[in-house]
Amino acid sequence: MFNNIKYVCKKYNFLLRQLVARDFKVKYKRSVLGVLWSLLYPLLTMAVMAIVFSQFFRFKVPDVDYLSYLMSGLVIFNYFSEASNLAMSSVVANFSLINKVYMPKYIFPLSKCVFVGINFLLSQIPLYVILFTSGPGINVYHILLPYMYLCLFLFTLGFGLILSTVSVFLRDMFYIYGVVLNLWTYLTPIMWDINMVSDRPLIAFALKLNPLYWFTYFSRKIILYNAIPEINSWIYCMIFGLGFLLIGILVFKKNQDKFIYYV
Amino acid sequence: MEANNYMIEVNNVSMRFNLGIEKGFSLKQGFVDFFSGKKKPPKKDFWALTDVDFKVKKGEVVGFIGSNGAGKSTLLKVVAGVMKPTKGNVKAYGNICPMIELGAGFDPQLTARENIYLNGSIMGYSKELMDQKFQEIVDFSELHDFLDVPVQNFSSGMIARLAFSVATIVDPEILIVDEILSVGDIAFQAKSEQKMLSMIGGGTTVLFVSHSLEQIKKMCDTVVWIEHGVVQKIGGKEICDEYYQYMISK
Repeated sequence: MFNNIKYVCKKYNFLLRQLVARDFKVKYKRSVLGVLWSLLYPLLTMAVMAIVFSQFFRFKVPDVDYLSYLMSGLVIFNYFSEASNLAMSSVVANFSLINKVYMPKYIFPLSKCVFVGINFLLSQIPLYVILFTSGPGINVYHILLPYMYLCLFLFTLGFGLILSTVSVFLRDMFYIYGVVLNLWTYLTPIMWDINMVSDRPLIAFALKLNPLYWFTYFSRKIILYNAIPEINSWIYCMIFGLGFLLIGILVFKKNQDKFIYYV
Repeated sequence: MEANNYMIEVNNVSMRFNLGIEKGFSLKQGFVDFFSGKKKPPKKDFWALTDVDFKVKKGEVVGFIGSNGAGKSTLLKVVAGVMKPTKGNVKAYGNICPMIELGAGFDPQLTARENIYLNGSIMGYSKELMDQKFQEIVDFSELHDFLDVPVQNFSSGMIARLAFSVATIVDPEILIVDEILSVGDIAFQAKSEQKMLSMIGGGTTVLFVSHSLEQIKKMCDTVVWIEHGVVQKIGGKEICDEYYQYMISK
């Protein structure tokens, strides 16, 4: 079993690298600033949101620098939304390949999650720029953050596998998911604070069922409050990560042989 | 595996396409059908292959003939592992190089150089092999001057050349060829045919679909005639003549 996994990893490592490299090359081809956009884009999005929410709506989070608050949530949500979106369409988009050459089909959602993951790592640079210039700076607990990155990656990959399976059978998913993501943006405390609803426990409880809440919570506890996240947030992150990955793998595996009839 | 010297065993393979579900479900279509009062068409089964059964020995070159839509390409895809058969099974003892519609893995925005690596990885080759064979691929395709040009600016002949050159760099144990020998200009056609012949001479087992009976006669030891997903006849080159008579009298 483990030998088999090792063999597959080795055999398809090159393919995975090539697919990720392709995405990178195609993404920045013919743009003047090229890869610099990976840094600029999240910064500019944050600037827009900061103007709207802190100047117009006067949102504030007590005791915390609002720009850092916004940015730390935004990089996480952006990773999830972009990776899951690309993963969803990856199987359908590569159907001409699936139909002609044998290769493991999960490699397409996986390559998208890795590709956006590299972008995510790049977007840490503007985040840290903000942390140093307007926020609380850095502390030793930042070394715990990769744990959350890993859980976020597993969760997104699992979710992407489910989405890509569903979208093969139901093309409407592309539109539906666009709306869902829109809703999800507002249900995740990115620009607002969960304490705003603390007087309504039921809503607060429902909002905490959102896996992305826990990923942002974990990250902010370290970045903004200089503290180690409580044990329950460690557990929730891992449960959501592994749980969704497991469901994703099962759903994908069960249906992948049928893909070829539907595209 | 040692007990028999077959390379490929195709055991009672049947392949069903469900034409009703093939389109997938779309709300839009459902809506349109609902208001136009149209009933869902009954699900129609279409058997692309029925009870196909044959075995191929090591080094044998098998040609497949039959009219368009007879199921030849489907059969090759089943053997290549792209599709799972509805019934029966396929056993292949060796690494397969499928040359079914070349250039499917090219990204039009990438350059020829980048596409060589991408396509190689899709075919399942390793990075070391690609590094090692890169020059050979370029030489064979004769596209030295266009290496850093995006493939979207290539002519279809140039794309076919590049794809053929990438696909044939290894000596696979099983080669699956679907009507690709007529790629490029006359000079390249001759060159690619030569390359195929030398691969065959090297003991490769070949499954080969072509509409050129001349090619089939020249290259194949065994000919399989498929019509409507059913094997009509398996035999030597004389099948080509029978097939020809059948097509003429149609």
